[in-house]
Formats: sequence, structure tokens, C-alpha cells
Amino acid sequence: MGTENPGRPNFPMRPSSTPFASALPTMTPFSSRGPMVGSEASNIRPIPPGAPPTMTPFSSAGSSPPTRFSDPSVPSPPITSVPSAGGPFQQYPTPPFPSTVQTTPTRAPPVGQPPFQPPANQISAPPVSFRPQSQVPPVPMVSAPQTVNFPPSSLNVPQPPSESLFSGPRPNFQPTLPPPDLSYSTTKSTFQPPFPAYPSKQPAVSQVPSPFPAQQGSFMPPPPASSSPFSSQQGSYVPPPPIAAPLGYQSRDQMQHPGSAPPIGGIQTLTEDFSSLSLASMPGSIEPGLDYRTLPRPLDGDVEPSSFVEMYPMNCDPRYLRLTTSAIPNSQSLVSRWHLPLGAVVCPLAEAPEGEEVPVINFASTGIIRCRRCRTYVNPYVTFTDAGRKWRCNICSLLNDVPGEYFANLDATGRRIDLDQRPELIKGSVEFVAPTEYMVRPPMPPLYFFLIDVSISAVRSGMIEVVAQTVRSCLDELPGFPRTQIGFITFDSTIHFYNMKSSLMQPQMMVVSDLDDIFVPLPDDLLVNLSESRNVVETFLDSLPSMFQDNVNVESAFGPALKAAFMVMSQLGGKLLIFQNTLPSLGVGRLKLRGDDLRVYGTDKEHILRLPEDPFYKQMAADLTKYQIGVNVYAFSDKYTDIASLGTLAKYTGGQVYYYPSFQSGIHGEKLRHELARDLTRETAWEAVMRIRCGKGIRFTSYHGNFMLRSTDLLALPAVDCDKAYAMQLSLEETLLTTQTVYFQVALLYTASCGERRIRVHTAAAAIVTDLGEMYRQADTGAIVSLFCRLAIEKTLTNKLDDARNSLQVRIVKALREYRNLYAVQHRLGARMIYPESLKFLCLYGLALSKSVPLKGGYADAQLDERCAAGFTMMALPVKKLLKLLYPSLIRIDESLLKPSAQADDFKNIMKRLPLVAESLDSRGLYIYDDGFRFIIWFGRMLSPDIAGNLLGPDFAAELSRVTLHQHDNEMSRRLMGMLKKLRESDPSYYQLSYLVRQGEQPREGLLLLVNLLEDQMGGTSGYVDWIMQIHRQVQQNA
Amino acid sequence: MAWDLMFWILCFFIKIALVSSSFYQLLSLSDLESDHLNPFEASTRINSVVIPEFLLQGFLCALFLLTWHWFMFLLAVPLTVFHLMLYLNRKHLLDVTEIFRDLNNEKKYRFVKLGIYLLLFTLVLFRLIISAFNSLHDEVDEHVF
Repeated sequence: MGTENPGRPNFPMRPSSTPFASALPTMTPFSSRGPMVGSEASNIRPIPPGAPPTMTPFSSAGSSPPTRFSDPSVPSPPITSVPSAGGPFQQYPTPPFPSTVQTTPTRAPPVGQPPFQPPANQISAPPVSFRPQSQVPPVPMVSAPQTVNFPPSSLNVPQPPSESLFSGPRPNFQPTLPPPDLSYSTTKSTFQPPFPAYPSKQPAVSQVPSPFPAQQGSFMPPPPASSSPFSSQQGSYVPPPPIAAPLGYQSRDQMQHPGSAPPIGGIQTLTEDFSSLSLASMPGSIEPGLDYRTLPRPLDGDVEPSSFVEMYPMNCDPRYLRLTTSAIPNSQSLVSRWHLPLGAVVCPLAEAPEGEEVPVINFASTGIIRCRRCRTYVNPYVTFTDAGRKWRCNICSLLNDVPGEYFANLDATGRRIDLDQRPELIKGSVEFVAPTEYMVRPPMPPLYFFLIDVSISAVRSGMIEVVAQTVRSCLDELPGFPRTQIGFITFDSTIHFYNMKSSLMQPQMMVVSDLDDIFVPLPDDLLVNLSESRNVVETFLDSLPSMFQDNVNVESAFGPALKAAFMVMSQLGGKLLIFQNTLPSLGVGRLKLRGDDLRVYGTDKEHILRLPEDPFYKQMAADLTKYQIGVNVYAFSDKYTDIASLGTLAKYTGGQVYYYPSFQSGIHGEKLRHELARDLTRETAWEAVMRIRCGKGIRFTSYHGNFMLRSTDLLALPAVDCDKAYAMQLSLEETLLTTQTVYFQVALLYTASCGERRIRVHTAAAAIVTDLGEMYRQADTGAIVSLFCRLAIEKTLTNKLDDARNSLQVRIVKALREYRNLYAVQHRLGARMIYPESLKFLCLYGLALSKSVPLKGGYADAQLDERCAAGFTMMALPVKKLLKLLYPSLIRIDESLLKPSAQADDFKNIMKRLPLVAESLDSRGLYIYDDGFRFIIWFGRMLSPDIAGNLLGPDFAAELSRVTLHQHDNEMSRRLMGMLKKLRESDPSYYQLSYLVRQGEQPREGLLLLVNLLEDQMGGTSGYVDWIMQIHRQVQQNA
Repeated sequence: MAWDLMFWILCFFIKIALVSSSFYQLLSLSDLESDHLNPFEASTRINSVVIPEFLLQGFLCALFLLTWHWFMFLLAVPLTVFHLMLYLNRKHLLDVTEIFRDLNNEKKYRFVKLGIYLLLFTLVLFRLIISAFNSLHDEVDEHVF
């Protein structure tokens, strides 16, 4: 606090709370409870006849109050009236959150009366109100700990607008409190479910005076006097909010302030809350049959934590930035007790749904507004002061001048009057058009370069043909027309260059066979503008498959070819797509067969197999990054190709590895076609760099993913797109953080395909807390698992697989133990296993992770190449996809196929995910297993032959490994294909190839499906139940 | 006697070279850390002096052995062995791609090495002075008698 508050009364950080606090030192009445209680009622307030019109104009707010006054005030004492007045105002401010606002008006009219009452209550017992209510509601809210978050969040939501408005004009209105309430209630409307009980509570309000203040004091060490209730909330500190109490939040309260709490809550509720918090499984007592059905499973897929967004509505969407916990610890000691990773997962270019695209802003002559000192970009959390002439940076709190052209007057509440025309001041994600200062050279054109292996195995597998066809079909859709450039090199034991000069009729091939001293035979024309040389390129692609169809060369001069491609591309940079079918065998960078010595596995030398063999690859990767070349590796071989080495190229250039073991164009062609097409046509950011900034006192210290660091905190990303995510961990630099909020800002500077240089900026705020329980409560399993996954995979590069798995388990155990210790003192936990609601899936994902391809088992469980390829892939996956891969969906579809009129609209119903246990499989059923990368369609042994016949046509009785799924002329088959298509569309970044398998068809069934039923015990690995027991036992061991 | 003096002078210069190379590497690393140098340049700079440094240090060590300076040899030999080990494991060069991850360790390693070099340097200096003094003294003696 110290730092931020003193300087500026307005308190930039969280727009909402501060203003109030400063304005009204006396705040106590503020308690907000009143409003809360009458949440519904309060909404109504504003609505009264006159209200609606006033809503729109901001300025009117000032004038309107008087009118309002009358209604609310009537019932209550004079003073109190003020608050009510405030209430109405609130609504205007809301514009940023239109949804809530709108809802209120409609609702209000009917309710008319009730609302009033609450205010009256408040008035009468102003100081008191807080606590009582919260506690009063006791019973109903038992449900989820998560809900705890709501109160604060909801409070905040409304506030931003309100506070700003009010604070300036009329400081004297201390009673303004009501506004917060009002707003609160309005916003609440959206959150209704959690607070069903409220209205009824009202009577209780007046009851308990004391508790609240006491708590406050304790919570908010620094400035208790001012605005206490509020500020504490700001901190996101759960405590104050009324709602929280019922939810088991109380338990915490009590722990901390034993004295204060007792009167109200009652210990019973407390324990109840608690137990609901802790999902209890009783391993001790029910040892034999801990019911697997009761264990938590993420059957709804990844649920993004809502608290984050609700608390800070101007934050960017969680698809761009997710924190492992949205409650940042304030001290080193707290960090050391949080055994999970502390950090963020960023997916800067995540695909936004229709209508939510990131707005592009062109400051043109003004230049981009940034903080002078820390270079933060202007964002919704900066505050304007000095009549709009200055703005205060929210990250380093430096006062900056507002450039003349950007100046706008502030309205009475200190908000800029042009706010609604300035998306950068309301939205957490924006894109600035960067002027020339942000370019070291003119923006590069999109550039695609293909390096294609044409040795005999490539020809035989049919890969060349598929690639040539796909590239040709994508020529029209390559981004950046008409500037797009394209070029090709093919290689076997020699390197073939192609002159594609636009004046030629057909490409000229030049062969270079001197591998030791590679040179480029032509200075230019190897890389041509696609729109100019379109014909030549098309001719080339048409003839490519036939050109090499009789090639019997088995060698692969990959290294020299790569160098050649590098030389051609180094002028511009771009994307290099490598299609490699054999182990590089000639020239620099040749690799040898390794990994066939079984004695190495399980020893300390094992990890070397997962590292690049030849330093050439790392050096090359560094050079490629330096020249803005991003590499995607497509590997096809059925034999060992040393993905560990080849993948290094992709890893450090921000690329991706696609691995198609034993590629056969007949079977895998479709997958390659889709994935290559997506790679070529998805929106790509070129020559990008990314940096994440955060507030004083904390620092990002390590980064995990596919990229290379350009400096300590700058990620170089030659080509980045929506399918890549990056994770980072942060640490505290100071032993104690005194601010209440910390801000994060991700900035990605890149060249868009259209040739514009742009900066994409995502801003998010998170509360700083002093309490470990809060951190757990606000944890985000998805982000944690994503970080765990990256850490574990990195660990496999320097340690044994076992060590990586163990360290993962140890961290989960430590975290749960710490959590248990938090509560162990108060409650007799006995043999129950407790964990925060927010982390209920952590154990399962931990299990899934240790059974995932890069980490599972030992030598026999996954091919070396497969392991490495999966590792590279998982290092780049966004959270959602990763979770799906870890806990794939298993869906039963035979019933819906049979249903006469299953329409598209009940698609959701059909897609009911089942637990991944063998018991889920019914031998009369038909199931789809979907992990985001492939479909496995499982035919039960007793599935009616009707269905099988309809779906598979005449060969339904054949061995399914030879059968491919295609549409037959009947309704059922069409429906199945439609279903698969929908599933694929919902997850387009990879193509899911269908594998068919029949029950009992061994070993295929085992390999494809049974191994992946991760809750089952398999070989030496533990099942879900065992795993939970094991973890529980360890948690208790030194608890 | 003059041979002895020349030997120590040679050692003295080699030591100076080693200390300055170590210092140079440290400097490059801290430049890298403070973003005055990009990783590509930093690693080329550092890697270019690593092998010469190893050779020089090995040479000095051998020299001590051959000239029968047991004490100095024993002081220098652990580092030489360590160098050899790094070299054989191909870990002697900085890895550009992971340079930031290893930064702290690399710095620590080079600090320690700088310390060892400085220690040896002072010893060499000491011996140099002694031998210079001796040779001078001898000459004086010869003159006297």
C-alpha cells in the first residue's frame, strides 16, 4: 500500500475501491451489507420511473441525484438518503459492463417495494450492517468454496465506474456507500446462483455490529482507518464480503480472529462449510472400496476460473493469460509455502470467438502512449489526474504527461470523457499499430520456404504427393497476398534448388552436390513473390511428385540442405517447413542411430537420448532465430529419425513438431493435409518478440516453452500463431509487497501478414494477498498443470523419467499437505483427504501427466521418437488443449446414432463425457475417445451388427485395423460423420484421424485405447484410486 | 638462475592472460544479463576464448610438472583436470539457446575460476619476486667476491 496510496488519492490500481476510501475516511457505514442484502431490491431502486433516462449521460449524474433522493430517502432518516441517491448513479458508470446494467432496469420495476426496505435497514444501523448479514445467511450457501470469490468480485465490478464518478465531485457525500451496494447488487444479478438466500436475510442486518471492524483491522494491516471495509475487499481479500462468510470463509475468519467471529456464524456452519470445502474421501475406512465414482473428474473439460475476470472486469480474457493463482502472495514466506508453480501461461494470439476480436488502435501522430520509465503501454488500469494532463502508470506508478493529441477532459469523477471511444482504456486486450520506431527494418512479407526430403522412403510413403497437393491447394489462402514469398529446396544425397523466376515457363532445377561447402547457385529467384510467379510455382508443385517417383536414393543430406535454406532465407526470415523422412546421413549434422542400446535406459545416461546429439542443431536453431526464421518440422519415418535433434530446430525457433510415425498417404494423408493446411493458412505473427511486464517487487524469472530468449525477459518468436502458448514463473524480489494489486502486461510486437507492425497488449490485474488459503482458493488448475507439464518435460531432458514423475508427485503432495495444515488445527480431519475446490482435479491431472507420452513408463512404453515429439508438442500447447490431451473425452454414441431425430441442437447432450475407466465401456456400445489429436472409435463386442454394418459398410466383419471410416449412404453413417466433423471443428488446431478398434481385438485394443484409460491400473502404473490413496498417505505422513 | 627468473616471468604473463580471459568472460556475461549484449554475440565472444584458455592453463600445468615445481603443479592440476572433463563431455562451450537458464551457474563457475587464477597469480608473483631478488642477490654476491 505504502507506495501506491500515499502519492495519489485516486488509487489507480483498482479503480473501484480507492476513490471511495480516500474520499470518505469515515466509511464505516459503507458496510455495503445493506445493499447486498437487498440485492434485488437495490437494483430496483435506480429503475424507478425517472431513472432510466438518466442512465445514459455521464454528466447528468451530478444533477440526477437530487431527484433520486426523494424516493429512497423517504423511508429513512435524512442523512441516509444520500446513499440511495448514490445508488442510481452507479448505473451510468456501468457502460463498460453493459450486460449488468441492462438487466437491472428491466427487473427493477416489478420489485419496487422490497428494495426500499433494505436501505432503511442500513440507515438505522449503519455501522453495524456488514457482518451480520453475511453471517446470517448461514445455511443456504454451503456449497462451493469457490463462491467465496464472488462477493469481492461483484463488488468491484460495479465500482470502477461509480467510484470514479463520485469521488471527484462530492467528497462530502460520505454516505455514498450505497452506491457500491447498488452496483453490487446490479452486477450481482448476473451471479445470481450463488446468493439465492439473500433477500430473506435482511432482517438480520441490524444484529451484529462489532465483528466486522475487528476483522478489517486485522486483515488490512496498513491503513485500517480509511475506508477499511472497502480497501480490504479490494485487496481481493475475501473476508469482508458478506457472502463469503456463509461459504466457509468463516472458518478462516475464525482462525484468524477468534474473538470476533463467534457470535454469529456458529461453529456448526463453520464445520459444514469446511467439509464442503474439503472433498472427503475416506481411504482409511473404506480401504477396499473407495468408490471411484465419487472422485472428481473434469468431465466438463477445462473450466476457466471466473473469479479472476469477475474481480477485475477489465482484465484480458483468460484465453490469453492465465495465472496459476489470481491471488499473488505478498511475502517470500508465503511463496515458499505455496508449493505449486507460481506463474502464468500466455497464449498471446489465442483465437477469439466471433465478435470478440481484439480491437486495433492506430495512434498515428500521437505515438503509442507508454510509461516513460517502465515502458508499460497505456491500459484500462492507468489513472488520469491533474484534469487529464497527466496519467499515472499502474505498474510503476510514475506520473506521465498526456500528449496533447491524446488529451481529454476528465468528468466529475475523474474519468476521461472520451472513454467510450478509447478501447485501450476499457479493454484488457488491444492491438496498437506500431509506428516506424518499432521496426528495425521494413516489415517483412510472409514467407514460406519448403525443405522437402525426396529420398526413396519419402517417395514410397506418398508424403511428397500429399505435401505438393496441399501446398498447391493452399496457395490462394496463404496470408499476406500479394506480398507473400515462397521457395523450395528438395534434397536427398544432393541439394536441388529451383529457380522460379516469374518470366520462366517452368522452374529450373539446379543441383548442388558439394556438401562440404554449400553455396547458393543463384543470388535471387530461389525465393519468389508468389503472386508474380504463381504459374511457375504451380507447375513445380504439379510436377514435384512425378519428378522423383523413381528416385532410389536412400541418403539424406539434411544438414547441408538446412544450411542452404538458411542462406536463402536469411535476408528476410519467415517460416521454414521441413519435411523429413529419414535420419540425416550426409554432411554436417548427420546423426547416428541411437536409442537401440537397451542398457542405457533407466540409467543416468538415458536423458542424453532426449537431447540433440549434435551441437550443430542448437547452433543452427540459434542462427535461425537470429534471422527471424521459424521452423516447423514434419517427420514421417517409421524408423528412428532422432526427433530429439530435429525437434530442437523447432523448439528454439518458436515452431512446432508434427510427427506421423510410419506415414502412409493412404491412411495418414488426411491428417497431414489438414494440419499442413492449417499451418499454412492460420494467421501468423512474423518476426515477433514478446515480453511480460509486472508490477514492482515481482519478476518473471524463468520461461518455458518453444522459443529462444533474446535477453533476460524477451522471448524471440520468429513466427507465432494461435496454437502456441508460453509459460513463465515469477518470483518475489522484495520480501514484502505492500501494494494491494499487481498488474501484468503481455506485449507481443509483431509484423502482421498484411505488412503492418503491431503490438498486441494484454493487461491483467491480480490481488495481492497475505493468506495462503486465499491463494489456494483462487488457484487455476489448468495453468498449474500446464506449468507442471512443462517443468516435468524439461526435467526429463536432464534426469530420468522416474525423477521427473517423482518430483511432480512430491510437489502435489507438498501442496496438499500445506493446505491440510492450514485447517488441521481447527478441524479434526481424521482420515479425510482435503483439498481446495479449485484444485480438485489436480491429483487427476498429475496422474494423467505422469502417464502422458513424454513421461510415462520406461523404455518399452513409448518409442523414443514418439516421446520426444510429444514433449515438443506439449511444451507449446495452450492450456485447454493440454487438459484435453491429458484427460481425453470418452463419449458413448450408439444411442444417439439410433435415435430417430437427433439434431444438431442436442449435440451438447450427446457429448456427455464418461470417466476414463474400463467400466465405462459397455460391450453393447459404440464409443469415441477423443484426445484432440485422434479419435479412437471403439466397437463393443455385442454392438448390434446393424450399427456396425451401417457404419462400416460391407467390411464390418473384417479386421478393423485395415478399415478406414468413410461415409456410407445411410442416415446413421451420415450422422456419425457429422458428429466427427463437429468434434473436429470444435478443435481445429490438429486433425483427429479416426482409428477403429473392436473390443477384444488384441493387442490393438490395448495399445490404442486401454492404455489410455488412465484411471485404470495398467502394468506398473497406479490407477486413480490408488493414486489418491498414495498421495493421501504421503500427505499425512509428515503432516 | 637467470633461467629460473625467466621461467617465472613466463608464468607471470600466462597468468595475466588467464586472469584477463576469465575477467573478460565474466564481463560478457554480465553485459548479457543487463541486456547490453545479445546472446548470440555474447556466446561467440565467450566461446572463442574458452579453448585458448584451456590450452594455456594446460600448458602452464605441464610446465610446472616438467620444471619440477611440485607445489604449483598440485595447485594447478585440479583445474586442468576439470577443464579436460568439461571438454570431453562437450560441455565447455556455452549453449546459446539456453544461455539465460545457465547464466547464474556460468557466472558462479567463472567467479570461482577467477578466484583460483588470482590465487595462483599471487603465488607466481611471489615466486617471481623471490627469484628476481635471488638472482639480483647472486649477482651482487658475485660482484662482491
